[in-house]
Amino acid sequence: MNAIETENLKVWYGDKLVIKGVNLEIPEKTVFAIMGPSGCGKSTLLRAFNRLLELNEIARVEGDVKLYGKSVYEMDEVVVRRKIGMVFQIPNPFPHMSIYDNIALGVRYNKIAKNRKEIDKIVEWSLKKAALWEEVKDRLKDKASNLSGGQMQRLCIARALALRPEVLLMDEPTANLDPVSAKKIEELIFELKKELTIVIVTHSPAQAARVSDYVAFLYLGELVEVGKTEEIFEKPKNELTEKYLTGRMG
Amino acid sequence: MKIDKFKLALLPITTVVFGIFLLMLIVYVSQSIPIFKKEGLAIYTTNVWKASETGEEFYGVLAAIYGSVYTSVIAVLIALPLSIGFAVFVVDYAPKKLKEPLIVATDVMAGLPTILYGIWGAFVLVPLLKRFVMEPLYEHFSFIPLFSYPPITGYSYLSAGVLLAIMVTPFASAIIREAYRMVPRVYREGAYALGLTRFEATKVLLGYIKPAILSGFLLAFGRAIGETVAVSLVVGNTFNINPSLFAPGYTISSLIANQFGNAFIYNYMPSALFAAGLALFVIGLVINVAGLIMLRRWSHAKV
Ligand SMILES: Nc1ncnc2c1ncn2[C@@H]1O[C@H](COP(=O)(O)OP(=O)(O)OP(=O)(O)O)[C@@H](O)[C@H]1O
Ligand SMILES: [Mg+2]
Repeated sequence: MNAIETENLKVWYGDKLVIKGVNLEIPEKTVFAIMGPSGCGKSTLLRAFNRLLELNEIARVEGDVKLYGKSVYEMDEVVVRRKIGMVFQIPNPFPHMSIYDNIALGVRYNKIAKNRKEIDKIVEWSLKKAALWEEVKDRLKDKASNLSGGQMQRLCIARALALRPEVLLMDEPTANLDPVSAKKIEELIFELKKELTIVIVTHSPAQAARVSDYVAFLYLGELVEVGKTEEIFEKPKNELTEKYLTGRMG
Repeated sequence: MKIDKFKLALLPITTVVFGIFLLMLIVYVSQSIPIFKKEGLAIYTTNVWKASETGEEFYGVLAAIYGSVYTSVIAVLIALPLSIGFAVFVVDYAPKKLKEPLIVATDVMAGLPTILYGIWGAFVLVPLLKRFVMEPLYEHFSFIPLFSYPPITGYSYLSAGVLLAIMVTPFASAIIREAYRMVPRVYREGAYALGLTRFEATKVLLGYIKPAILSGFLLAFGRAIGETVAVSLVVGNTFNINPSLFAPGYTISSLIANQFGNAFIYNYMPSALFAAGLALFVIGLVINVAGLIMLRRWSHAKV
């Protein structure tokens, strides 16, 4: 079963076409890496999946994105974003809120829990899932801005998980972290794929090789190559992919 | 230590500005001394206005201080929801083509000569408020102290407060709007990515800029309390300390504006007015400095 499928997906910013008809199938409960040079449209592609592009007045989408066979553009956008969680390149927990509230926020507004006790449980559960519980369990009322960068990113993962998403989008989640924190997140990805589908954008071929089951290579808004990670790393069919993976293209 | 040449070049200007400021303060203090010597703190704690060319004079400006604070509080309480709502509307909801015109329009409104507001207030706003707000409320709810004063003329704390609210809303809204616009994209996206609706996301992001909202609140209060002409046209100019919104009153600035012309034929009235001005000076200074510090601290923390 595919968690996500796109059909001839096109995205414009103003009259500039940046995603040029992408057809993609992302099997469920896998880690799917999207790679490609800067500006090729990776972040744009992710934001088309959870309809975050709609925040941008000049963005226009054509074609379709299906979540388990159902067009996200025919669903309520709030539901889409609950089912497709997202973690960003810059860790973005709300700095004016506590660690607890950062997670409780989405839970409350999406009416996932009925009372304080249930919220407490979900907060604990998701912090454990994100491997952050031990570090913060005694300071849940602390401002999120007091956490380290790596902890903030795991908090962001926790608050996304708290909504029990089917898919988790990660846009270069380790780009701004130190190697130790990055490694923690990679381990986490490995654990999480048992339960959900992860789509990760990364600039590092090494990271893609470590964490992903599939790789898609995007170049100037077009899908150049898709396949099992080991196959693509062993013998890329496309010349551009090979150049990129061997570091001869930025 | 490295010497910043640019800062050095600005030093004389800074000194001049600060010097003028200090001189002003000195003038106010020294001119107030006679009345302090004569009455002590009673100038601030009593409500008396006994002007006499020959006999005993006595001045207490409590009614004006009360009126200044009261009208400004009304103004800010009305202006705050309006300016937050307007700021959010301009940033999030207004169609793209309307945004810039709206921003320019509010900035122009914020800069209009205040006498224009005053005349409009006296001839249009006061009758409207009297007819559609004060009279119905007085009729049905006069047992509540706030509404207990018969709105005979309409010139009142409420009129002044509403007019001030209209005057400071563009200004407060500009501060809040800029802060709201500057919310980093990652937080905006983060809120929506959690499945929040537009309304819910807005609430969260307003929480993020709360310090800026608070300083907008303080700076608006500072503006309201210093406003003179417009207020003196609608507040009623009566030495009165009344809890009712519909009662006429005085404010410090309208008191000074009204009494200054003939103050010099009395021995102590000029000094009393300077003392009133000093009170305004101090209140305004404290509020504005607090507001600016808060705004600066906030914008520095975020960069
Ligand atoms: N808000 C926007 N308005 C207009 N053009 C945009 C906007 N965001 C991105 N673009 C353009 O769309 C193209 C794709 O951008 P996108 O951010 O998706 O690339 P990316 O692959 O994620 O790059 P990076 O690896 O640097 O993050 C780029 O040419 C970019 O300049
Ligand atoms: Mg990107």
